[in-house]
Amino acid sequence: MSRAATRTRDQPAGAPAASTISVRDLGMTRTRPSGEQVPAFEGLTFDIARGEFVTLIGPSGSGKTSTLGVIAGLERPTHGEVLVDGRPVTGPGPDRALLFQEPALFPWLSVRGNIELALRLANVPPGERQERAGTWLARVEVDRSTDRQPHELSAGMRQRVALARALACDPPILLGDEPFGALDALARERLQDIVQRERMERAGRTTFLFATHNAREAVLLADRVLVMSAAPGRLLEEFRIDAHRPRTLDDVLVARVVSEIHDLLIGQLEESSS
Amino acid sequence: MTDDETSQPTTHDEPIDGDELTDEERRVLANVAGILRKIKYGTVVLVVQDGKVVQIEMAEKFRLR
Repeated sequence: MSRAATRTRDQPAGAPAASTISVRDLGMTRTRPSGEQVPAFEGLTFDIARGEFVTLIGPSGSGKTSTLGVIAGLERPTHGEVLVDGRPVTGPGPDRALLFQEPALFPWLSVRGNIELALRLANVPPGERQERAGTWLARVEVDRSTDRQPHELSAGMRQRVALARALACDPPILLGDEPFGALDALARERLQDIVQRERMERAGRTTFLFATHNAREAVLLADRVLVMSAAPGRLLEEFRIDAHRPRTLDDVLVARVVSEIHDLLIGQLEESSS
Repeated sequence: MTDDETSQPTTHDEPIDGDELTDEERRVLANVAGILRKIKYGTVVLVVQDGKVVQIEMAEKFRLR
């Protein structure tokens, strides 16, 4: 019997370490075309431990994307700060890889070329790039399409290539902004399985923070789910999930927590529309 | 149903007397008690295979607002 099945295993010797993220009283105000200032989200405070997988869930407009944007260094907060390994985030950096809903692959490069370019930008020696690209494309099950161009692949395969490109560079942090939101159900499930496997095998080398509006995805993937309110986004509840991986939607605990989060989100939608 | 009974967890079986518990059952219950002492709101799931508890899983809920 093992209770703490999801705890991070010991980090292999020589492996790069994941980073910690601290979000301190974060808030952002947006200006409407009329000039009116409206808060997008406010008062967000949370910590993410090294190697932890956290999902941020909330209704549309709750500020999930903007929160990730601030952590990625792409947006500036109106209030508060984000610390990565104790240092304030002032802009984008190679320590934080970002997965978007659209895979954002270079269309003129082959699948392999996309991975190798990322490895070159990450200063991986030329001799290592080809092998590492091949390894990662096999891990995401795209190894039979390495010479194709992105437009020749399905949406799910393109997103798997984007995931491989991000993880091949061994980022201490992987941020995902609804990365599987535009995929059909089957493609989404395959990617969720791959991400679960990587979470298990990366052994504390990467800290994950994914935004999603899908309660099932949030619970399948995360050690902790943070639930945000409707706009202006605030943190409502946190669920710490200590359950065996890989998880499935049939797991009793998963189903129960999904249902609780679903009810919370429905309540938020009703509150915001009343 | 009395007020006392309403505060008890729902079960369909009579509880076993503590003296009748096997060592394995005591170990499982001690694990569950350890979790119950830590969490205030949440869910605890026991996964049973072939009559043995093979996994204890939990989800703890915190209100942040």
